[in-house]
Amino acid sequence: MVDSTLVVGALILAVVGVIALVFALGHRLALRIALRNVRRGRARTVLLILGLLVGTTIISGSLIVGSTVQALSVHYTYLGGGYVDESIYALSPTGGYAPFSVAASHDVALAAQGHPGIAGVTPMIIATTQAYDHTTGIPETALNLIASNSSESGNLGSFMSTSGGMLSGPSAGQVFLDDQTAQALGASVGDSLELYGPTPIGVTVSAIVQENLRGGYLTAGLAPGNVFLDLPTAQTLENLSGHVNFIAITNAGSQQDGIALSDTVSGYLNTTLATIPLAAGLTVHEPLKDGIAAADVSGSSIQTIFLVLGLFSIVAGAMLIVGIFVMLAEERKGEMGMLRAVGMRRRELVFVYYFEGLVYAVGSALAGTLLGVLVGYFLTYTFSLLFSSGGLTSAAILQSFNVSTDDLVISYVTGFLLTVVTVAIASSRVSRLNIVQAIRDLPSPPPPVRLYTTLGYVGVALTIVGALVLLPNAQGTSDISLPILGGGMMILGLGLIASRFVRNRIAFSLVGVALLVWAGAEPLHRVVLGQAHTGGIFIVFVEGILMVSGALLLYVFNSNTLIAALLRVAGRGARGAPIARVGLAYPGRRPARTAINLTIFALVTFTMVAIACFGATVQANLNNTIQSETGGYTYFGVSTQPIPTLPEQVANNPTLNGEYAVTVPLISGAIQVNITGSTPNPYTDSLYSAPGNQSSTSSFYATSQFPFTATWEGWSPSAVLAELASNRSVALVDQNYAPATSSVGGGPSAPHPSIEVGGLMELTPPGSSNHLTVRVIGILSQSVLTGVWINPGAAETLGYSNETAFLLTLRSGVSTTLASQDAKREFFRDGLVLFEIAQILETSIASTEGIIGLLEIFVGLGLGVGIAAMGILALRAVVERRREIGMLRAMGFTQRAILKTFFIEYSFITLLGLGIGTSLGILIVYNLSTSPSAAASGVSFFAIPVLNIVLILVVAYGLAMLAIAVPSIRASRIPPAEAVRATE
Amino acid sequence: MGEPVVVGEEVWKVYGAGDTEVNALQGLTVEIQRGEMVAVMGPSGCGKTTFLNCFSGLDAISRGRVLIGGVDVHAMPDAKRSEFRAKRTGFVFQAYNLLPVLSAVENVEMPLLISGSGAKDARRQASEILNQLGLGDRLGHRPSELSGGQQQRVSLARALVSHPAIVWADEPTGNLDDEGSRQVTTLLRKLNRDYGQTMVVVTHDAEVAAGCDRTLKMRDGRFIS
Repeated sequence: MVDSTLVVGALILAVVGVIALVFALGHRLALRIALRNVRRGRARTVLLILGLLVGTTIISGSLIVGSTVQALSVHYTYLGGGYVDESIYALSPTGGYAPFSVAASHDVALAAQGHPGIAGVTPMIIATTQAYDHTTGIPETALNLIASNSSESGNLGSFMSTSGGMLSGPSAGQVFLDDQTAQALGASVGDSLELYGPTPIGVTVSAIVQENLRGGYLTAGLAPGNVFLDLPTAQTLENLSGHVNFIAITNAGSQQDGIALSDTVSGYLNTTLATIPLAAGLTVHEPLKDGIAAADVSGSSIQTIFLVLGLFSIVAGAMLIVGIFVMLAEERKGEMGMLRAVGMRRRELVFVYYFEGLVYAVGSALAGTLLGVLVGYFLTYTFSLLFSSGGLTSAAILQSFNVSTDDLVISYVTGFLLTVVTVAIASSRVSRLNIVQAIRDLPSPPPPVRLYTTLGYVGVALTIVGALVLLPNAQGTSDISLPILGGGMMILGLGLIASRFVRNRIAFSLVGVALLVWAGAEPLHRVVLGQAHTGGIFIVFVEGILMVSGALLLYVFNSNTLIAALLRVAGRGARGAPIARVGLAYPGRRPARTAINLTIFALVTFTMVAIACFGATVQANLNNTIQSETGGYTYFGVSTQPIPTLPEQVANNPTLNGEYAVTVPLISGAIQVNITGSTPNPYTDSLYSAPGNQSSTSSFYATSQFPFTATWEGWSPSAVLAELASNRSVALVDQNYAPATSSVGGGPSAPHPSIEVGGLMELTPPGSSNHLTVRVIGILSQSVLTGVWINPGAAETLGYSNETAFLLTLRSGVSTTLASQDAKREFFRDGLVLFEIAQILETSIASTEGIIGLLEIFVGLGLGVGIAAMGILALRAVVERRREIGMLRAMGFTQRAILKTFFIEYSFITLLGLGIGTSLGILIVYNLSTSPSAAASGVSFFAIPVLNIVLILVVAYGLAMLAIAVPSIRASRIPPAEAVRATE
Repeated sequence: MGEPVVVGEEVWKVYGAGDTEVNALQGLTVEIQRGEMVAVMGPSGCGKTTFLNCFSGLDAISRGRVLIGGVDVHAMPDAKRSEFRAKRTGFVFQAYNLLPVLSAVENVEMPLLISGSGAKDARRQASEILNQLGLGDRLGHRPSELSGGQQQRVSLARALVSHPAIVWADEPTGNLDDEGSRQVTTLLRKLNRDYGQTMVVVTHDAEVAAGCDRTLKMRDGRFIS
């Protein structure tokens, strides 16, 4: 089958090619001149292509990084999903799978025989167990127990032993261990294991299997490990004689074919289950299809983040293209004037540039796409170094490096079109010239009045479009970037209209200020747009572009004042005054031209600084919230068996009593949460409830220090907890339930229901007709313990009584490792596993830092645009100002003075661009992190990574100066006698 | 008159080498007296501009010696020669060569600033000379806002503002219409007479040459009269 992206891409290229061919046939002279221009300076052509390829590189790099992340997720989804296309089960209130008669499974298998899409039905038991290796003496908790009969599980594939042999499955009394489990237990083939469940049993390790499709089922080779049993042995262990708790359905064909059949098969199974009385309460799930869909979402999320942040560099790249063409036009002004003088029409001149640009676009899009592949690999490689751990190996990450034809085609076509469109616009612009002025190299007169009339009409159109975007989205829950963009368009439109009637400086300075205020003053958004809007990464782009535009307009229309002020300072040192005056005069008196470079530098710096600040702010908040998110507890523990007397057992154990200061038991299980109007509905989550009759060191209500981001009527945390302890109709929820906010990253990222404080939710235990409606009186700021917290009486009403979750706090000075090992040993039979809450958060911080670091590197590529732009501007200046340089030399400027003039000029542009970008980058993160919505998400700190920013600025400035060094030296060495008369 | 400001001794300027060697100046020897206004004429390619560039110190010479005010211009290193140009010479070019990003007064005060004058003093002197040249109402105008004649007057003001020993003018009327040309010629002559300013004017224009004290005619890199 031919790839549709390839077809669309080829079609677009064919259309552009045909149009170009038609133009070429109709404008042969223009084509000839264009081709001659391409050939006439190879070094220049290479420089042009380098300048033009940046946008394509960023697009290509973003797509490839996204595809790689997607491929990695898909890899682990397939590995973990195995050949289980659909699964049939019911959740038990304890959170595990509820057992049902094995006969139900046989009924399903019978019915499935009539469906061509179903290849096999495997009844299974899936549970959690703990094991003790008698040979090595090592225990291990929280292992997956996966049991099926070899005779029924052929469709799930074969196990592969570590020596490479194919195995169908363990016999009675034997187990297969996957690599992870074998490693954790130090187990070898032949070892005796004790498996713990309701009826502990002894088994023998008969094979250690690889983490392939069968051996990696559920875990994809990641922790925790798997223990594979035959079904009867598992039934004994779990006290489930004649029962199973899971049916695995394998669809016909490969994994990919199976996914394609998943909806049909799932529909058929749902219908079938309704006819099987024994299957009441069982539901059909599509784990593989859903997993792949989630992998797609994660891949495209990464792509979006990289692309949106790359957009700044893409815009900067487009500005660079305009800059390059203006430079070409300036260089060729004389010959263009002559061509026009000898009768060439302006339209032909446009085509000369268009054809030339087309040639560059073909080459630069190709080079950019390929360079993007290298960038993608570099980022993947860095990713593999930063994030490989356990089963997520560096090799697996690198193997997932994925360059799809789609990505290459999309990158090439987008990059090509971006270049061609920008080239077409630039060509039209540079071809407008006065013949006499061009030939005689005279300065251009001010633009005609009709230009402002035209701009006035553009202003009217912008105002209308802006109003259409702003007004319908001003209030409500749309993405906040929409009304902000609409408002920005209106401001610009009104400014353009005003420029027809008042002085440009006044009109556009006001527009600049208005854009800065509109996009940069976050409190204004709350007043004008309310607080119900959602937000995403795109807001950074919209606000960034608007603020940078505002700052640039302010500069362009007030540069004289700024330069005059600077010169007053510079003029005090008499020797440097003429150098400073000349150096600053060019960017000051030619602000529009300077604005191109300023824009490029400001945009790139803005992105880099914003990401750096964002990273520092996230880190500062995470560091800060480690204390608050732990709620004062060291560990969160879960057990496979209820431990109703854990506090007492700890108190009576001298070792544990000396280690643990607080031991809070929690009743826990699974719950279906129904929130009207929310998606998904119902949502399966964890339920927690703290018993009330506990001592002060075991009472959640007395020991919890969990902060809230919102409470009912502003109650204090202690008042909320007291209400929870006494009121059966209230609940607390974790941070994931907080409504989406306009801060980036606020609100639930994956599909998750949301609820306001005061909202009602209906709670139903899985497989039960019991239900309870509760009012949310507090949203916890933490999201480590996810779920709903209810009153113990309410939990009892719903049928929950098992204490299988725990919060524990160590006494000061006690080793976390030692205490954890002691507790694990003491409660091994109960399958107690302890998670150090701070460590979970620290891992999250490390991941965040890694991703932010990668993003910084990626957007840092945009610096290439800035540096190329600076080099091109300097080259252009040398050509353009040859005569002026000669005159300065004639007047007594030394070579060094000319060099200094250039460095002052470009330092000013670079530093101003860096200054604008840095200040606005800091401002946007400040806004995002200090808004009420950020506070609601638990963000209370704003941090500026000074060292990081200084490093960015020093590198950017240094590279820019490096880029202008050669042209500047060239300028200083121009012989004055030649220069004063030169008309090159 | 009587004291030579510029002395050229056997000045040669050779471009290229071997088969492509061109003798642009062939052993020029000349003296220009203080307060003298000398025109240099000749057909295109005869070496007029090369003469100006080499004698003013803008370009290096191949052989010989050029003394301005007794100082051997070509014996100095580049930095010294630049300083010398700033303090002792002024230039006027056909294309005015004003810095387009600076206003008229800023252009004129530039040589003073380069010579180390204070900003206020430089501004005062530049304004004064522009007033004298009839551009008092154009001080803040940028070159693009001035006519050709006005630009050339600014250029003249810039050449004269630091009271140089000599002003070198290369086709000062070349870009001007008849009226503009006449105005600039009259001005050059007036400045020469009123201030005793030594001037060397390279020109094609016989009217300009007619207003000078002396005309040096060139052909093939040599003075022929």
